[in-house]
Amino acid sequence: MKTRNKVLKIILVAAMILLSLFFLFPVVWMIANSFKPDAEITADMNSVQAFIPPVPSENFFDNYVSVLTNTNFLLYMGNTLLYAALLIVLGIIVNGLAGYALAKIKFPFSDKWLLIIMMLMIIPSETIITINYLFIAKMGLLNTIFGYILPMIVNPFNIFLFRQVFVSLPDDVYEAAQLDHCGPVKYFFTMVLPMSKTVVATVSVFTFLNVWNDYLWPSLVFTSSDLLTAQIGLNAITANENTTMGQTLAAITLVTIPVIIIYSLFSKQIVEGVVSTGSKEG
Amino acid sequence: MTKKNKRNSIMGMAFFGPALVLLTLFLFIPMILTLIYRFTDYFALSPNTTHFVGFENFAKIFGDDLFVQSFLNTVKFVLIIVPVQCFGALGLALLINKITACKKYFKVAFFIPVVMSLAVVSTLWMQIYSPEGILNTILTNLGFDAQPFIHSADQALPSIAFMSAWQGMGYQMIIFLGGLQAINPALYEAAEMDHASAWKKFKDITLPELKPLCVFVFITVTIGAFRMIVQPMVMTGGGPSNSTYTIVYDIYETGTVNWEIGLSSAMAVVFVIFVIVLTMIQNVLTKDKEGKNENKK
Repeated sequence: MKTRNKVLKIILVAAMILLSLFFLFPVVWMIANSFKPDAEITADMNSVQAFIPPVPSENFFDNYVSVLTNTNFLLYMGNTLLYAALLIVLGIIVNGLAGYALAKIKFPFSDKWLLIIMMLMIIPSETIITINYLFIAKMGLLNTIFGYILPMIVNPFNIFLFRQVFVSLPDDVYEAAQLDHCGPVKYFFTMVLPMSKTVVATVSVFTFLNVWNDYLWPSLVFTSSDLLTAQIGLNAITANENTTMGQTLAAITLVTIPVIIIYSLFSKQIVEGVVSTGSKEG
Repeated sequence: MTKKNKRNSIMGMAFFGPALVLLTLFLFIPMILTLIYRFTDYFALSPNTTHFVGFENFAKIFGDDLFVQSFLNTVKFVLIIVPVQCFGALGLALLINKITACKKYFKVAFFIPVVMSLAVVSTLWMQIYSPEGILNTILTNLGFDAQPFIHSADQALPSIAFMSAWQGMGYQMIIFLGGLQAINPALYEAAEMDHASAWKKFKDITLPELKPLCVFVFITVTIGAFRMIVQPMVMTGGGPSNSTYTIVYDIYETGTVNWEIGLSSAMAVVFVIFVIVLTMIQNVLTKDKEGKNENKK
């Protein structure tokens, strides 16, 4: 009986591995063929060879080299990293301070604000994007970093996330800090944030993924300039008739590498963040 | 005491202030403007000729073939993606929960498409769905006919729905896995003593325990699906013959391409009401469940 169970378990794992490979076939195909010239991609299509990268030769990285040297792709990726860094820092300060105020400080209407923040989490951003676009255009901020970043800093969901964590911080630490003449702002940055590393990390990781993968808003703010993000730049590159299939695959692999790195480094925070959205509501 | 209260108020407003300013500028004012503009014929290229038109915009959008079609397309998309993604995620979670080896690998493998961007996934699947692409090559090698996929009005929307389910499934899988791990193992041990079959354990323990999560996943996937826009924007431009044009795509193009802010606002209001109703249904269903659980205890 026991050996039979063991055999069944091994079969199940083997079947799952097959299923996962089948599930990931688009990603495997993307990576394997990003190293091939177009003629080889077409020629390999009919065999298993389509899912196996070519033998490394001196032309191995040709598609990557041409994407990185012939287009502004490296610049676009750098831009996106810069925006993500700015939005992580500003987002933690603005949303963190607001979350702390809602959690620990009694000020006029503080409980009502919490309710409003929770209601704002329902509103789909797509519905106000037109008005925000008009507003940014009227202020003459189209094609500027400011125009892109300003509407993205505040995030009701992150305020709520910070508030939920800060609420359980002990009050006596604050009183002790006050005796040491530590002002509230200094207390927030030197005590509150370091005590809440997990939520800071979760918000940072999700902000990064949001900025890196965002499409709609940057496609409106940045029309044709050196400020494009990687996702919008990608569109410009793949729409170009001279771009080969291999180069397209190399470009989308390049855009995916940073998120895979972030995911492998912070998978614990990401999984916790995902599970918490479920357990909070459900 | 009053002095302390006053100091607290000032400090609270100072801490909340930056967020409040930004919320006002980029959420409250746009929302209020949307609510006002929906009653006007505000055209962004000639703002001075704006009139109050009452409910005319609503009559206009529901009489507009394109809006009605985009609404029906979105509903069709939702009807395909919601069962595929929800059942797929639940199935994967149940399988991974059963397995003892390589658990971590499976969690990562099925989550990879989630971290990839919609633009990347759409670009990749354009190649996969192309007439001479890998999927058609596999199909013809297996003896099936080649399919037009995103190049035909019949198949474009289901093709995009299938791709989107593939991309999003890992997220809900993680949520379900969290739920499965939270189930009290004593329940299963008790069932084992009664020699309950695997199906009976699933039906009588797993499903009821997961029910609130199922409602949550079902509604969030539905709302997410109603918001779909990037995939057709990258892959088909809404075509062929508007078969992949969605509500949000219509709101977006009416506002930022045609500049008809009045109409676009009316559409946005209809859409938001829809989303709020869905969220309320979710709240009612999950609250109800919690109440019942309390009674049981």
